[in-house]
Amino acid sequence: MKHYDVVVVGAGPAGMACAINATKHGLTVLLVERDDFLGGQLIKQTHMFFGSEKQYAKTRGIDIATILKKELLKQDHVDIMLDTSALAIYDDKVITLLNHHDYIKVKANAIVVATGASEKVLAFPNNDLPGIYGAGAVQTLMNVHGVKPGKSVVMVGAGNIGLIVSYQLLQAGVDVKAVVEASDSIGGYLVHAQKLRRLGVPILTNHSVKEAHGATALEELIIWKLDENFSGIAGTEKRIETDTCCLSVGLKPSSEMLRQAGAEMTYVRSLGGYVPYINQNHETTVNNLFVCGDVSGIEEASSAMVEGFIVGLTLANRFKNVPNFSVLMTDLKTQLKDLRAGETGEHIMKGIKQIMRGDHHA
Amino acid sequence: MLKKTGYQEKEIVKKEFPPLKHLKKGPKAFIECYQKIPCNPCTTSCPHDAITIKGDIINRPKLDLAKCVGCGICVYNCPGLAIMVVGQADNPDYKTFDIPYEFYPLPNKGDRVLGLNRKGEELGMFTVLRVLNNKRQDKTALVRVKVPNEFLYDFATIKVGEDNE
Amino acid sequence: MNEKDIIVCRCSDISLYDLKKLMEQGYTSFVELKQIARIGMGPCQGRTCSLLVLKELAKFLDVPFETLTPPTVRPTMSALKLKMIAKGKNNEEQR
Repeated sequence: MKHYDVVVVGAGPAGMACAINATKHGLTVLLVERDDFLGGQLIKQTHMFFGSEKQYAKTRGIDIATILKKELLKQDHVDIMLDTSALAIYDDKVITLLNHHDYIKVKANAIVVATGASEKVLAFPNNDLPGIYGAGAVQTLMNVHGVKPGKSVVMVGAGNIGLIVSYQLLQAGVDVKAVVEASDSIGGYLVHAQKLRRLGVPILTNHSVKEAHGATALEELIIWKLDENFSGIAGTEKRIETDTCCLSVGLKPSSEMLRQAGAEMTYVRSLGGYVPYINQNHETTVNNLFVCGDVSGIEEASSAMVEGFIVGLTLANRFKNVPNFSVLMTDLKTQLKDLRAGETGEHIMKGIKQIMRGDHHA
Repeated sequence: MLKKTGYQEKEIVKKEFPPLKHLKKGPKAFIECYQKIPCNPCTTSCPHDAITIKGDIINRPKLDLAKCVGCGICVYNCPGLAIMVVGQADNPDYKTFDIPYEFYPLPNKGDRVLGLNRKGEELGMFTVLRVLNNKRQDKTALVRVKVPNEFLYDFATIKVGEDNE
Repeated sequence: MNEKDIIVCRCSDISLYDLKKLMEQGYTSFVELKQIARIGMGPCQGRTCSLLVLKELAKFLDVPFETLTPPTVRPTMSALKLKMIAKGKNNEEQR
């Protein structure tokens, strides 16, 4: 059985950043990725990122993936396994993997789960009609595979993903008929909303989908106004002819593996779902089991990346001495604090307070 | 309202717009970043130090009109595509707008394109004066449009394509 | 609104109508629903449906969402054939 200092599960921005920092300071690292490429969701982000230069602001997500990839491949002590799913984590820090048909066991001193998130769904009549997608799926179709999902689309959800994917749909030549948002205000960055609105896309707050119709695939969507209790108001129905509907109603952390490994978990609404209790180092209640990125709370890719760098550095300092550790760590923690400033950040910080414990390993 | 509809009210646009007396001296940037978000490429990209964010990165950028030369570098560096440059056109009845544009096909110099306001409503057909799309811009083109003075506080973007004359 | 047309669990084709009927019959925990209707036992392993199901459970029982027990997660995270594990033993010996 191969033995590594660190096994990182998931090669998105968090996992890649973690692997870079751990191996840069001398640890042996195995980075495991289910897909056949590095970068996770970054590779379908064609828009410029926010933040500061330290998180590659104004660079397009797909190009950030390339930057991280180059940095990772420069390192000597990192093994990368693509097309590989992590199957389970056992008490003795053995982790089982499936690469095509090969079942593989590896042992680690520490395991980092950076499995990201998955899309939430919405329950409405005929929500299983072909043509109703998750917004992330549509982004994959368009930006990874070059496939136009349909002629026109109604986007459900005005968070950053809903707004960004709507803009990318316009760029792909799809008629975005409306963005529908259940809450009373736009959740994503207003600059994204302004971009859509000036191109004539109506953004309808306090609205949701009532039902979908279509014989064999989506043909029309009925939307309606919601009251303050998020219940539909009869008589406010509007019919929109469309062959595609995108659901962008939030993400939930893909934290199942942590539960399997025995980490203590809790449900935190503002973080998107079930998340592990962590300490300042992002270590779960299981010794040497760490988390970074969306798996411990839904945020932006920039913060996922910084969290990855933090966990990588923490591990490096735990197993080998990092001479300028405190300088590097202070810089990363400041970056994270900056990214979490503002309205959205406050919301996230509240959630993080619920899962942050002094030190459960003391 | 912006948080509900996605467009800024004309009254507020008017208030935030670079004053006309400054436009007479040369083209100026107009930053439409109304929300506190953690983002600062406008300040780091400006070669004239005309844009500053005081204190925390989430604070709104401030433009020093005296320092701004209207070069347009911030326009394609803003991740939110929230900046345009407004200048005086040759004809005093018109202004020029340099806007970020990320759609194909790009318009060509001399094309007549559909002008839209902040709600996406049609304003009329306007002439494209210049299209810049060099490597440094990283796929965000800079399109200069000639806009009649009456739409100074309305013009937001253009639509190229089937609506062209 | 026809609740038979609202799909809650795609893998096992369970509608909101089916789910409500099951809850009325007394299956009021995720584990019970899983055992009786295979909710969360398809290819998605509950990743898509679990929050929807728990939300309906919370509504039905009139309890806060946070108090409900989410589905148990056991190895392995994705499906594999037993012969792969058997073959894996050989791989290990070769290493």
